[in-house]
Amino acid sequence: MHLVNEIIALLAANLILSQALGTSTLFIASGSRKNLIGTACVITIFAVLGSGAAYLTDRNLPEKYADYTLLIYTLSVGIIYVILLSALYFISREKFVKFRKYIHISAYNCAVMGTLFTVSGRAAEDSSLRNLGSYMAAGLEAGVGFIIAALILTAAYRKLNSSKVPAAFRGFPAMLVYLGIISMAVYALK
Amino acid sequence: MLKKARKERIVWLDLMITLVTLELMSYFYYGMRTVVLGGVCVAFSLAAELASLRLMHRKFSADDLTCTSDALIIALMMPAVMDYRIAAIASVFAVVAAKNIFGGRQNMIFSPAAAAYVFVLTSWGRKLLMYTAPHVKTGIFDDPEGLTGSASYIYNTTGKMDYTDFEILLGNFTGPAGAVSILLLVIAAVMLMLRRDISAGAFIGSVAGTVLFAAVTPIAGTRSDSVKYTLVTNMVLFASIYIVADRRIAPKRDYFAFFYGFFIAVFAYILVLTTAKENAVVIVAVLFTPAALAIKNLEKKIDLAYAESLENEAQAVQEPAPGPEVPEEKGELTDDVELPDPEETVSEMIEELTAEVPETELPSTDEVPGEEAEEDE
Amino acid sequence: MNDRRNSVFDGVLGDNTVLSALMVISPVIMCGDSLKNAEALSYAFTSITILSVLISSLVPKKLPYALKIVIYALISSLIYIPVKVATHEFYRDAIERIGIYFPLLAVNSLIVFQTEAKFFRMKRARMFFSLIFYVLGFDIVMLLTGVVRELLAYGTINGRIVDADVLISGLSQPFGGFIFLGLMCGLYRWIRAKIPDISKAGREQDASGK
Repeated sequence: MHLVNEIIALLAANLILSQALGTSTLFIASGSRKNLIGTACVITIFAVLGSGAAYLTDRNLPEKYADYTLLIYTLSVGIIYVILLSALYFISREKFVKFRKYIHISAYNCAVMGTLFTVSGRAAEDSSLRNLGSYMAAGLEAGVGFIIAALILTAAYRKLNSSKVPAAFRGFPAMLVYLGIISMAVYALK
Repeated sequence: MLKKARKERIVWLDLMITLVTLELMSYFYYGMRTVVLGGVCVAFSLAAELASLRLMHRKFSADDLTCTSDALIIALMMPAVMDYRIAAIASVFAVVAAKNIFGGRQNMIFSPAAAAYVFVLTSWGRKLLMYTAPHVKTGIFDDPEGLTGSASYIYNTTGKMDYTDFEILLGNFTGPAGAVSILLLVIAAVMLMLRRDISAGAFIGSVAGTVLFAAVTPIAGTRSDSVKYTLVTNMVLFASIYIVADRRIAPKRDYFAFFYGFFIAVFAYILVLTTAKENAVVIVAVLFTPAALAIKNLEKKIDLAYAESLENEAQAVQEPAPGPEVPEEKGELTDDVELPDPEETVSEMIEELTAEVPETELPSTDEVPGEEAEEDE
Repeated sequence: MNDRRNSVFDGVLGDNTVLSALMVISPVIMCGDSLKNAEALSYAFTSITILSVLISSLVPKKLPYALKIVIYALISSLIYIPVKVATHEFYRDAIERIGIYFPLLAVNSLIVFQTEAKFFRMKRARMFFSLIFYVLGFDIVMLLTGVVRELLAYGTINGRIVDADVLISGLSQPFGGFIFLGLMCGLYRWIRAKIPDISKAGREQDASGK
């Protein structure tokens, strides 16, 4: 019973279904299972590490410099981006060539940047969440949410791209309406 | 192909017979208003179907009348005194946004009625969940008076039902116009299952899930009361027949369909138990659509593998030759579609991202060999 | 000249930022429920994107790809600061409602990806015109979405009450945004298919990448 409630809570807090964050990236990733897994995993890494960086930023940045938050978040994600690419490069050139696209596509998008701001906002409202563990757990939750949304989309991928769908709606428009109806059901649960 | 087309019409006819019967019962309790409501839903559904088929350059055939059964399902899930304009919008939404945008009846993703119900619930929730008592007959153009919460709402929040078993069987308790006539629903379920118009697996799974959980973690005082009242409230029976067991949506094999229905019922029951969410089964049915689609994809793969193995065997008997060519399914999720690498092919990636699907018809993407969709007449 | 005309129409009709490429859709879905929000977002998007792309075009092209992307994102994050202050002056209430979607405009795909893929492959003047119309494409969709959703969901236009019979409050919610944008996207494609010249020009533009 708790598991069902947890699943419902995870759906209700899903960044894509409830906040439309990372929708474009999701559409790109849902084209193939390999891309989906690769992108979802890298986005999760970015979200977790980025949330850690967001914690350090929120803790150390004085209130009067709050306008610089975006700049520091962007810099943090940029550093993670470069570190991940460099690490992959030094581990294996072959893997670097093979996997760098996932890193490129996952670094700067609404899924990752939106997660940092969402996590930060939640911590601002609830002081018990102002610790590194909570920040990174929220980042992980966002990554899992992305994977769930991607799975929801991939289940219907064939039908949404079928020749039976009117040409004007085939692909992206049908995907948007499909996600909209699922999002509507999630909203109805609240 | 012809047999399948006939079958579709017969299913529609059977469904309509049961739905019209429910509508008549509703007329008995709520008067002419509920009939007009049904008429509005059917008229707007038909108009939306005709208009969207015309835009899709498709001809209207008798099979497209299925939109009318969806419209009646919507009408029967609403209070008898529902605003006609809202009912009309819901019917249009069901046909256009939940069905024809995805290709219509040949490429169903959602149950149109369930999607429309959730749409109304999220936009006009208060109007949707306030009902007049049975035998209170509101004029066709009168404003409804004496609106109250449903028996389901009272049961969800207090665990009590102040109705006799006879009243419950006849649907003499406050709730959606057509979803409370329990005796008729039971008869409809048996008839539709025997005639294979609904997925027996999904229906039995849904009922089994509800019964099991209602007995294990009762809402009412005793287990038997909990099972009885849980089945008759929150449109569980109605939704199990017309939404969960909808053959267009539920998995084809009864084995898979059973678990599909079972898990919908379990999730819905837990929602009712923990949050007192009214008619949760309809919402959960929409949420489980991706699960139904995933199971159907699995079923198609099993069929394909089976057909391939049969062909292999046949070829092995005839002559030792390489394996047969399996028809490639475009649009199928594969593991070899490459994500464009921005560093190498930035412009190609953007092209791919911005590429439009060509106007020309692509080969069918979700056909199983030997199970082609019928052509429009 | 003909090329330039094609490029001009691309951003608005042939290859619309939102409806064709589905870029920057989160703010449209989440915040495009009123004209005030739409105005504030359009203003911020226009300022941040045009300034960022123009300044980013000065970054040496020989730098590694990842480094250039980081620099572009940092430039737009820096530009975001004065733009936020200015937007706060004009649209104080809207900024509150837009919330996290306001800073997210600074790392939009048009700046991060399209710069390398499209704009920096053009000559400076052509890039400027093209950029203007890509931004205009976003603004038009954003404002149109804002007006229609506000009218249908709240029965108002720019905060003024309009005599609307039935309000569809769900359109103000994220799911309403998804569905509305999906419908708009389909309508856009349908219209585009009816105008062969624009459709063809858009495709040619995509193919040449110029």
